[in-house]
Order: sequence, then structure tokens, then C-alpha cells
Amino acid sequence: MSTYQFLIRRGLQGLLVIWGVITVVFLLRFMTPGSPVDFVAPLDASPELRAQIARNLGLDQPIYVQYAQYLGSLLQGDMGFSYIRGRPASGIIFLRLPATIELAVAATVVAIIFSIPLGVISATRRHEPADYAATGFSLVGISTPNFWLGIMLILLVSVGLGILPTSRRPIGLVPAMEMLIFQFETVGIQTWIRHMILPAITLGTYFTAMIVRLTRSGMLDQLGQPYVKAARAKGLPETLVTYKHALRNTMIPIITVLGLQLGTLIGGAVITEFVFNWPGLGTLIIDAINVRDWPIIQGALIVIGVGFVVINIVVDALYARLNPRVSLE
Amino acid sequence: MSILSERVRRSLTREFSQSLMAKIGLALVVLMVTMALFAPFIAPHNPTQQGLEESNLPPAGVTQTSSDIQFVDGERQTVETTTTGTLDHPMGTDSLGRDLFSRVLFGARTSLMVGLFGTLFAVGTGVSVGLVAGYYGGRIDDGLMRFADIMLAFPALVLAIALVGLLGPLTIRIPDPFVALGLVEGMPDSFVFPVTLTIVVGVVNWVWFARIARGEALSIRQQEYVKAARSLGASDRRILRQHVLPNSLTPIIVLATIQVAAIILLESSLSFLGFSGTTLSWGFDIAQGRDYLGTSWWISSIPGLAIVLAVIGINLLGDWLRDALDPGIEGEHGGGM
Repeated sequence: MSTYQFLIRRGLQGLLVIWGVITVVFLLRFMTPGSPVDFVAPLDASPELRAQIARNLGLDQPIYVQYAQYLGSLLQGDMGFSYIRGRPASGIIFLRLPATIELAVAATVVAIIFSIPLGVISATRRHEPADYAATGFSLVGISTPNFWLGIMLILLVSVGLGILPTSRRPIGLVPAMEMLIFQFETVGIQTWIRHMILPAITLGTYFTAMIVRLTRSGMLDQLGQPYVKAARAKGLPETLVTYKHALRNTMIPIITVLGLQLGTLIGGAVITEFVFNWPGLGTLIIDAINVRDWPIIQGALIVIGVGFVVINIVVDALYARLNPRVSLE
Repeated sequence: MSILSERVRRSLTREFSQSLMAKIGLALVVLMVTMALFAPFIAPHNPTQQGLEESNLPPAGVTQTSSDIQFVDGERQTVETTTTGTLDHPMGTDSLGRDLFSRVLFGARTSLMVGLFGTLFAVGTGVSVGLVAGYYGGRIDDGLMRFADIMLAFPALVLAIALVGLLGPLTIRIPDPFVALGLVEGMPDSFVFPVTLTIVVGVVNWVWFARIARGEALSIRQQEYVKAARSLGASDRRILRQHVLPNSLTPIIVLATIQVAAIILLESSLSFLGFSGTTLSWGFDIAQGRDYLGTSWWISSIPGLAIVLAVIGINLLGDWLRDALDPGIEGEHGGGM
């Protein structure tokens, strides 16, 4: 199967999944106790006013009509108006999206930078103190709830040492970069980095720990393979054997698991955002859930679902390219 | 019929005696179960009893200096008070003066109950679906697995947050048998079990069990002894229960152990967000302590340590089972934050 056919097929499957997500998200409102009118109408609203509000929100229609209307407006990129803020939900959601993406990418970068060297050291110095330290760290890392880790970092670094901010960040990456490029001003990017450090560590630790384990066990597997023996026998320096041959083959399972764990990354980002009051999708969803702002809840869940499906397809395609033994099927 | 064969049992004991980590894991889990079971006997105070004059007391042996602004004769003065924690509240108290040690003990109940019942729910649903899909194959298999794919296509934690947050916290009160029998006094007479939360953590996790059970059923249904059973006239139900299920137990047990850890982490996250419906939970206490990080570090720190130790213990037990039984599933920890 060519890459082209693969992408088309996965794209169609992805559309099916997205349709499933939209349907579930739509039905969620009908499974939830209470009517949206309760949250929109004033407490002392008369029955007439309540009926009027229900009519304005389209709630007086039969469920299949509402479903069709919802699908129809989604196709036009319309997610409805936020009940609370009275602005288009899509605008609010896409305004928040960059912060979440920045956080997720930063956490992944943190994880990859720290985990792979740790895993390699752990495997090449098996049963030495470095190995015990790395395996101990990874055990603790995967067993720590990230919201608690975030709070402890705030406690130790921000409250205790008085460095690094914990408050809502004042500037996003894009405006910070604009400042840097157009005004040669580094304050923006510095502020951005200072606000990013703790959240990125909070979200990245679990993945660091997980990749350390994967790298370690994968490297141990690979180092026992005949081709490693052959590479050593022909006189290759050990560094080259480790990093060029063994590590390269270890990367394949690591990427597989990373792909599978993307959902965990996104879920973790929601909690991390909540801890650091991060202006992303996570805090938006939690706030919206608390006030039952349905257009925002539904829209944000759909955006997450779509993003997740797209990333998964990209990971699969990348994976096949990295590992020619895997066929696209 | 014993679930574990003689060979498996020997392998388990051998691995256990050789592994220090397995022993640590077992010790931690036994500690947690003991805490949860006998919480009313161990706890020095009622975990819900408030006392404002005893708020934010530090743990035993810890000295805390706090400054307060008071007006004496119309003049503004900064008064420094030094408090040292006593053994009356070994882990200190929270902002409402509730004893943190007692809360940690009772919080173990919530984590353990949700962890166990959530996992049971996931195992029950997942294994039934997986066995049926794998055994019958064809359309049923396609349909069920397509549905499983949709489930996997959405981040579990986000789904759980949305479901629990929106469906609302349904809870039931389970009477505490020790209090009901009159063995202890002054303790809460019932335990709040978060029903919605437990079902939701099960719902977002069943897919993993379905996949494993399906894989096992697919491979087992081709085996000679299953064909023999079928030709003897055994019903599908009997074949599934007597032959397919026992043979797929090993990977399911290993995965279930790991999932208990994952679900405890999930429970603590949802309680942290205030969505669980119970206030006696480690995650809930961590959230309570957030506002007092500057003055009372222990309120958030100690319940978090309890979570970490419990999850480490269960993960180590999972490692032990995996190494001893070697079911050939990927060696992942129950993570998921």
C-alpha cells in the first residue's frame, strides 16, 4: 500500500472516529441531569422567559433536529455561542489552543532530552549506582500524580526558593517571538520561558520516567543481539555501537509507545493547566464543566478528539517511514 | 479447580524470594490495605471533626513560625507565634483543624475501593466483550472492536473528567461495620463510596482488557482441545468459561494489577478537581492544601506522599507478577497520572 492510499484510508477511518466523538459529545448533554436553561436563566425567571431561552438555544426542537442542526453548523465551523461569555465558542477555543500545544510540546521535549540519555546510561551500566538511580527515578516518576508534582514544585521552587513564577503567564509564544523579531526585545521570550519551566517539568516527568524504562529494557535487548557483537568485533568504538546501532533500533518501540501515550499527554496537560492556571484548553474545559457552558464543553472536546486523531495518523505514517519492516496496512 | 497451577505458584514464590522490590511492593500494599481496613481503630481522631482553634497545626516535631498582624490599643503590631506539632496530631491538621493522619487513613479507603471496584468493572466489561469478539469473530468482532477504537481515540483522562464532571457525583453511604457493631466510637458511621467516579474510571479503562481477552480468545479457539470440546457438544458458553477464560487469565491478572495503580491515580486526579463527591480522599486533601502552601506545607504534601507510596507498591507487585508469569504483554506501568 502506498503512503498516499494509507493516508486516505486512515483519513476516512479518522472521520468515522471524529463523527463518533461528535455524537457522543452531543448525547452527553442529554445524559446530564439538569437543563442548560437552569444555568443560563436568572434564578427568578418566569416560565415564559425560560421557554423563550430554551427556544433561543434551540432546545425546544426534537433531539434528532437538534443533532442535525448541530452537525450542520459544525460543518460550517460554527460551535455555537458560549452561554456565559456570549461570544462564538470556536473563537474562545482556538484562542486557548496555542497555550496547550506549547505546553505539550515543551513537555515532550523535556522528556526526550532527559530520558534517552538516562535510559542508555542505565542500560550500559547495569547494576551500577547510575542504573539504580535511573530506575528508581523512573519508578517514582510513573507513580507520582502530576498535579501533586506540580504543587510540590510550586512549594519548593516558587514558595521556598522564591524563583520562577506560578501565576498565569502574561505572554504566549507567538507574541513573545514577534517581540523578539520585530523589536529585538528578549523580555517576552524570557518571561515565556520562566513561566514554562515548572509546567513543562510537571507534565514531562511521567513521560521521562516512562521512556527511561523503555529505553533501558530496549537497549538491554538490543545489546544482546548478534549484530552488536559483530559491530564490536569489527572494532567499532563502544559509543558508536551504543548510540548508532543499538539506540537506533530501540527507538522503534519507544515511538510506538509514545504514540499510544499521546492521550495521556493531553489528559495530563488538562490537569497541569489547572494546577498552574495555564490559559489553555484544559482550564477552559474545567471551567466550562463547572458552569455547564455546553457549546464550550462540546467544542473543546471535539477539538481535542480531532487533534488526537490527526496526531495519531501522523505518528503512524512516521513510524512506517522509520521502520521499513512495518508495512502500512 | 485452582486458578493457579503448581508451576505458576512455584514461579511466583521463586521470583518473590529473589526480588527485594517485590517484597517492598508487597509491604507497601499490605500497609495500605491495613490502613484502609482498620482506619477507625488506628485513627487518633474523627477525620471529619473540625476545630478552628486547632487549624493548620504542623506535624509532630515540626516547628512553624507564623506572623500575624494584630491591633493592640489601636496600634498595629506584628505578632510572631511559634507552634510545634505534637503527637496528638502526628501529621498535623488542615485549615479546618481536621487531623491529617486520620484523613490519610480514611483516604486510603476511597483510593482502594475505587481502585478495586473500578478495575473489577473494567475487567468484567472488557473481558466479556473481548472474549465474545475474539471467539465469534466476524461481524460481532468488527463491530465491537470498531467501538473500542473510538474509545481509544479519545484521551481517557479528558473523557473521565467530562463524564464525572457532567454526570454529577452520585455516591452511596456504606455503613462502617466496626462502628455499627459498636467496636469503636467517635468515628464516621459510614463510608461515602463514589459510584459515578468508580463506573467512569472503569468505563474509560475496559478497552485494554477487551483487547487482551480478544487476542487470547482468537488464539485459543484454534487450539485442538477447544475443537475437541466443541465436537463433544459443549456449548459456546461452557467453552468460553471452562477453556478460553482460564487460559487467558495470566495476562489479565497482570494488567489488572497495573490498572489498580492507574485507577488510583485517576481517582486522585478527579478528586483533586473536586468531581468525586467524597471529601475523604487524598486528591481532595491535596486540593485543600493548595491555598496554604506558603504557611502549611504539610496539608498538600502528606496525602500526595501516600498516593505515591501506594502506587509504587502496586506497580512493584505488578512487576513481580509480570516477571514471574511472563505473559508476554508489554511491560508498562500503570501510569496515566
